[in-house]
Amino acid sequence: MFDNIQFASVGEFFQMGKYTFHVWSVYGLFAVFLFVNLYKPRMQRRQFIREQRQKALRDKQIAQQSAEQERVEALGEGQ
Amino acid sequence: MWQWFFRLGSPKWFYEMSGKWLPWLFVLMTALLSVGIVWALLYVPQDYQQGDTIRIMYVHVPVASISLACFPLMAVAGVITLVWKMKLADMVAKCAAPIGAWFTAVALATGAIWGQPIWGTWWAWDARLTSMLIQFFLLIGVIALRSAIESTDAAAKACALLSIVGAINVPIIKYSVEWWNTLHQPASNFSMAEDSPFGPEIWVPLVIMIFAVYCFFVISLILSTRNEILERERRSQWVVDLIADESTK
Repeated sequence: MFDNIQFASVGEFFQMGKYTFHVWSVYGLFAVFLFVNLYKPRMQRRQFIREQRQKALRDKQIAQQSAEQERVEALGEGQ
Repeated sequence: MWQWFFRLGSPKWFYEMSGKWLPWLFVLMTALLSVGIVWALLYVPQDYQQGDTIRIMYVHVPVASISLACFPLMAVAGVITLVWKMKLADMVAKCAAPIGAWFTAVALATGAIWGQPIWGTWWAWDARLTSMLIQFFLLIGVIALRSAIESTDAAAKACALLSIVGAINVPIIKYSVEWWNTLHQPASNFSMAEDSPFGPEIWVPLVIMIFAVYCFFVISLILSTRNEILERERRSQWVVDLIADESTK
């Protein structure tokens, strides 16, 4: 079965008989379809992790600032 | 007996398990796709009527048949959501809708490209084509319904109901080619018989491509469900730990 390539030359393969546009646009669309649906969730995941990390960092800073503020206020009341 | 069922419903458990499955599925998909595409493009004999457009079948048929799996999946997930209020089922249903819309759109587009030289038209209001278009709009409807309802629980219930009702369309698509005798051909009867017009050199690569596209469907569904899990569980400790862990890498 595998000695049986249907095309005599590379040029003929790319030509696909009369149907160059039809065959290759379908396979091109399929490639785009695969790529988008596998790549998009990976990007979304990366973005989500980046956002959550920034948010955690911000929360930590806010907590530190308010702790500092409380310390200063406590000092002020003490005087 | 029900223990495994509810453990499966735990987003954390699913997240951990699916992380282990993904590399294997990915290897399987890549292997099947490489073999299937090379076989379809290089070795499948030209059809005596259709010439090289026969190669379009190896993309169109797998994508179209797997697009039909989407609504039943969402309907089953919908029943689980309504009866057991399992959060994971709703997450899977939510992620399946856009993927199903993609599959349906690609099936319609590749069908149009195939139809143009063979039927002489890109589009016809044929029963199969029209019912597929309805499936596409139903999926858009499910996506829109979810984004229109703010409360996650209410959106889950509404989408579950719409998915169960929408699944009615699936047998209509499936049998449309038998009930109404219009342009789209009925499913071919592939057999092992010697005198069958479709020998193994035609259907074996098709079966390989169907499995490959199934793998792809499962992988993309798992990937986006994992994102959905992280998003919804972002306040629970295991996700916080996971994010802290990822950042140090």
